[in-house]
Amino acid sequence: MKSSYNRLIFILSLIGILVAIYVLQSFIRQSSIVCVNNGCEIVRKSLYSYPLGIPVPAFGLIGYSLLTLFTFLRTISSDRRLLYGILGISVFGVLFVSWFTFMELFIIKAVCTWCAVSAINMFIIFFLVVKIHQMEVRKK
Amino acid sequence: MKLSSESKLFIAIAVITVFIIGIGIMLMSRPAPVLERSQLLPAGSYTQGNKEAKTYLVEFSDFQCPACRSFQPQVKALVEKNKDKLVFAYRHFPLAQHPLALPAALAAEAAGEQEKFWEMHDYIFENQESLSEEILLSAPEKLGLDKEKYLKAFKDKKYQDKIDKDTSDGRKFGVDATPTFFLNGKKLDLFTSSDLSKSVEETIKNNPK
Repeated sequence: MKSSYNRLIFILSLIGILVAIYVLQSFIRQSSIVCVNNGCEIVRKSLYSYPLGIPVPAFGLIGYSLLTLFTFLRTISSDRRLLYGILGISVFGVLFVSWFTFMELFIIKAVCTWCAVSAINMFIIFFLVVKIHQMEVRKK
Repeated sequence: MKLSSESKLFIAIAVITVFIIGIGIMLMSRPAPVLERSQLLPAGSYTQGNKEAKTYLVEFSDFQCPACRSFQPQVKALVEKNKDKLVFAYRHFPLAQHPLALPAALAAEAAGEQEKFWEMHDYIFENQESLSEEILLSAPEKLGLDKEKYLKAFKDKKYQDKIDKDTSDGRKFGVDATPTFFLNGKKLDLFTSSDLSKSVEETIKNNPK
């Protein structure tokens, strides 16, 4: 069960990487993003999509890459620190996507479909990590 | 080090993902096609400026879209400043989420029948925030149109086909948001609103007259 959760996090992280790469290339090339409405374009052109001057999808790409790496390493090593690393990244991820969704809804007043997909993805990952953590604690 | 079957599975999934990314990069790095002038400026399009100018700017726009309105003064200034060197065309792309975008487009075409397309275009954008059917119906008084003729064209949706053609052309050309501008056949990706003026001025400089 625990390993299938880890596998699921790995796959979801790869999906997160795909989404982040697609959106990031649009940010960098300043090209339009295929979206269900024009929300992605409004969000892409907003200054709030560049916290500290860094495009939002870059944060996603780094976070998801680390999650991919750490979940892979967990298939090799059973070092508990890997789980805490994953937990830490997913906590940061959930806070980050919550903050950005709040900005989209109330400040930018537009929702980018891909950001919503990524936000849901990050919440599922967080939920799965918590589940794994609970199982490991119980085992202990 | 001997890898477990789980590790091997992860590696296989990662390899497939990298493969997908590679295909994606290949597909997306193809240059955007340059459209023909006749495709973007079909006969019957309303234009401003010099029809013979080498530089042509085409906007796919929605009368109820706030971003389109915010670009309007800039476009107007560009056309005024470059009357001889630029031709600008307005093409319809009314979005479904704007209930008055299509009626406004029909009204603009109905006014266009009486040579007052651009006056109507400006009138609609000026009244965008309070846009209503009444505002569209009261255009004849404001703009000096033949009321009967205007109302007939407007209510009979005489120019619906033309608007539909603009919209389907827009979709074919990759328009997915409004406003979308094409400059000499190339879709512009505008990061800030001043990018439009910069791109147009630069193109005019490279294509004098």
